[in-house]
Amino acid sequence: MVIYWCEILNHFFFLNRQDLAAVLIQRWYRQYAARMEMRRRYTWNIFQSMEYADLQDQIKLYNFLGYLMDNFTPSSSERNLISHIFRENEVCRDAEWERYFSYTNIDVPDIYSGPRLTFPLDMDQAADLVEAFKNKQQLHSRYVLQLLLETWKLLRVLPNINRVSTCHSKEITICGDLHGQLEDLLLIFYKNGMPSLEKPYVFNGDYVDRGKDSMEILLILFAFLLVFPGNVYLNRGNHEDHIINLRYGFTKEVLNKYKLHGKRILKLLQKIFSWLPLVTVIDQRVLIVHGGISDTTDLALIARYVSSLRPPKKKTPSRTNVYADSERYVEMVICKNRRGSLTFPKPFDARESFQRRSLQDFSSTVARTLEEEFEVRRRQAEFSLSSFSKSHRILSSALSSDSEPESSEFTDTGNDEWKQILDLLWSDPMSHNGCIPNEVRGGGCYWGPDVTEDFLNRHSLQLIIRSHECKQDGYEFCHNRKVLTLFSASNYYEVGSNRGAFIRLGPDLVPYFVQYQATRMTRGLSFPQNVKRTEHTALKILREQLFVHKSDLLSAFQEIDKENMGLICLNDWASAIERVLHLDLPWRVLHPQLVSSTTDGKLDYHGWFRDLALKKPSSEHIEQTMLETLYRHRSTLETIFRIVDTNNSGLITFEDFRQTLKLLSAYLKMEISDEVINELVISTDTNNDGSIDIDEFMEAFRLVDKSRLKRGKSLLKLMQDNQSLPQETETPQTVYSTAPQTSQCPASQPADPPASNTTDSACSQTANPPASQTADSPGSLTEDCPASQTEDLCHISVVVPPQ
Amino acid sequence: MAPKKIEPKKPEPKRPEPKKEEAPAPAPVPETPKEPELDLKSILLEFTADQIEEFKDAFTLFDETPTGEMKISYAQCGDVLRALGHNPTNADVLTVLGKPKAEDMNTKYLDFETFLPMLQHISRAKNQGTFEDFVEGLRVFDKEGNGTVMGAELRHVLATLGEKMTEDEVDRLMAGQEDANGCINYTSFIKHILSG
Repeated sequence: MVIYWCEILNHFFFLNRQDLAAVLIQRWYRQYAARMEMRRRYTWNIFQSMEYADLQDQIKLYNFLGYLMDNFTPSSSERNLISHIFRENEVCRDAEWERYFSYTNIDVPDIYSGPRLTFPLDMDQAADLVEAFKNKQQLHSRYVLQLLLETWKLLRVLPNINRVSTCHSKEITICGDLHGQLEDLLLIFYKNGMPSLEKPYVFNGDYVDRGKDSMEILLILFAFLLVFPGNVYLNRGNHEDHIINLRYGFTKEVLNKYKLHGKRILKLLQKIFSWLPLVTVIDQRVLIVHGGISDTTDLALIARYVSSLRPPKKKTPSRTNVYADSERYVEMVICKNRRGSLTFPKPFDARESFQRRSLQDFSSTVARTLEEEFEVRRRQAEFSLSSFSKSHRILSSALSSDSEPESSEFTDTGNDEWKQILDLLWSDPMSHNGCIPNEVRGGGCYWGPDVTEDFLNRHSLQLIIRSHECKQDGYEFCHNRKVLTLFSASNYYEVGSNRGAFIRLGPDLVPYFVQYQATRMTRGLSFPQNVKRTEHTALKILREQLFVHKSDLLSAFQEIDKENMGLICLNDWASAIERVLHLDLPWRVLHPQLVSSTTDGKLDYHGWFRDLALKKPSSEHIEQTMLETLYRHRSTLETIFRIVDTNNSGLITFEDFRQTLKLLSAYLKMEISDEVINELVISTDTNNDGSIDIDEFMEAFRLVDKSRLKRGKSLLKLMQDNQSLPQETETPQTVYSTAPQTSQCPASQPADPPASNTTDSACSQTANPPASQTADSPGSLTEDCPASQTEDLCHISVVVPPQ
Repeated sequence: MAPKKIEPKKPEPKRPEPKKEEAPAPAPVPETPKEPELDLKSILLEFTADQIEEFKDAFTLFDETPTGEMKISYAQCGDVLRALGHNPTNADVLTVLGKPKAEDMNTKYLDFETFLPMLQHISRAKNQGTFEDFVEGLRVFDKEGNGTVMGAELRHVLATLGEKMTEDEVDRLMAGQEDANGCINYTSFIKHILSG
């Protein structure tokens, strides 16, 4: 009997022990998960702040270009350099353009194994093109030019506003930013099917820059546009702009892929971009636009014929005026002979009749002679929204502050129309009411829920779908679910940073979301490994920012450390950094990652700075502030170098290099002496033949964090000793342009130690499906892609938002 | 964001105590001692100003209100407490929140001032558990006493006993830990969790 009871008690104790053990493990797990979540969040914050900081860099570039235009005089020696920079703005007649873009002389060699296109294109050819790009083939420049020319011809007859209908129960698929990430487009096509008569698509801009396959994405989209002009709609994004492309990598990509004909291709693309429609409206209820709206957005104005614009000429040298003497450059005209409808159009039935109607409208609203047409259209190519964004502000202030006779050439409506376009392509929503200029981006505005409400009412719309901002889940609602941000480039900041999404819209106009993540790189990595990897990148970028502001930080620390002990407590460290950097980041939470050691809770800040060091140039002869300045402006420098390197050799002459730096120094009002320039040249290990390798020079401005280097190496060794690491056949490409780095070149590898590629524990399992993480997804499914078809694609979840 | 799934409250037989499993239990299921009502207002804050700043940074990270009101939902409270280095059980979290109803978890919010005494209370808990406790906990499932546990068994236990974990949570936890035989070497497993 006793034994029986003992057994029961033993059994019970055992169960109880299990329960206790379970709770213990569960507690620890939950703590681990919460820490991981915190890291994920601050990593995201870092990327977002860096992106905003990076946009400031862009404004610096425009300012510099504006300065150049203001201040070059015919007699100065810089003239050649400047005209070099702006040579692309030569104006020719259309006939000359057609000769310039002629592809008929380009021979395609027999060994070329890529697609050979015949026009007019058909669906099979478009599908073949997709397949070819999937297999990493490159389309021959002859076909590229031909395809682009056909696209240009088509776009010239399309309206500014695409009008689409969900008749016949067709669902329309809408995609956001792609940014040159071909894997994402392929993933969308795989999941959703390619565009066709049954499957209309709207693409909401930003097809290019940052990713490495911008060209391929454009070719695919244009091909489908040509095959199904009534079923594929392209909106213009702010990156469909040649000046932005110089900065963010598209220009470089094209010149690298098409060494012979790249420049012509770029020129043709410039024209195409300026002809892209601005906005798409579905069933007159849903607006799709890349950036957003402002309190002055007027769709009727957008649809109308936009008049020519001639900005005032420069009067006095003291006024900062973007438009210098060169008339050729200043004549920037947008001219789109669009559907001339001032009132809201009547609904139409079939898409076919709509197409015919637009062509008819086009012909009937022509009020000018043929010559005027040509004149107006050729000018249109010069237009670059981005360079205008700065000029726009200057011009508007110029107009308001005084009345120069020349400014009467400047019509108010012209100014309005420019602002309209900028607002459409650059604006961001904000949570507060009102509408304020978007100082961060330098164009467009921040608009509030009241502006949305008013706009929707005025135009009888019910929803605005826009892109332009990266969202962690690929999409995000705001303004009471009246504004939807849709972003289709997954892993945008770093592998694993975010998902992409696309939506389907049926006649009920309720969006049906599909999220995805192109996970070729992360297959085999678990969620925590993903987090750690992304975090690593974010911190690296953050350290660069700290380096850039070293001098300012040092002064801030020394102000606090009045006794000059070289020590500062963590709280003061955090507040000083925030005061200097203005990034609004959780520094106290981040400090264990940024600071390797403290004694008694105090940091030796000199030692800390020593750890944030540049690889080279050696800082012995070049003082710290100079290095910081150059580092801060290195993307501007690089852009200028690349413009100057007209034959895309990767080299610039010493003389051009010197002139560029001199101009920069004049602009910054900071002396860069010849000695310093020489020092820079020597220390970047050039080949001493009078030319400088641009990549090598930029490579010198790469930060090295010594302490992590040591840690990383030892960690790697430890792992190699303990476990066998999975073979990685491909170095993951970090496509983060938020880092003001030279990762515009797709082939450049991170110069960091291998630890950046590996993670803390080798994983032999396949990736876990990321749990569908949206709060409003009670009925979510996760699907696995059949491995046989899709080595690259993984794990898509389908989310149905609550009605 | 992964919504923290809050399990329905379970009667807690007793607080998990480290190193006490071998001692004979007094009776089959001891009555849960009636806990005094938790009065947050009476808790004296012992944090330094520096510490509070740090907590504020972490708290802000979890603030998802559209206008940045410095508020978190009840459902997030556990996460923030844990992110700051503590490991309360879910029951602990619910206690400190004042035993809210399930539907309150996602609809009610608390601000930083309300959160601080909760954090203080949790940080005073003696039974945070050490590495050894954790090992002991896992050793319970080490049938052969060879330093490994069966992955499948651990999954089952974690999903059915104690404060049950969801399948997702279990997957996350176990990702990459099982070897070819489905076994987990729990010392390295623990290191993996603690190094998080």
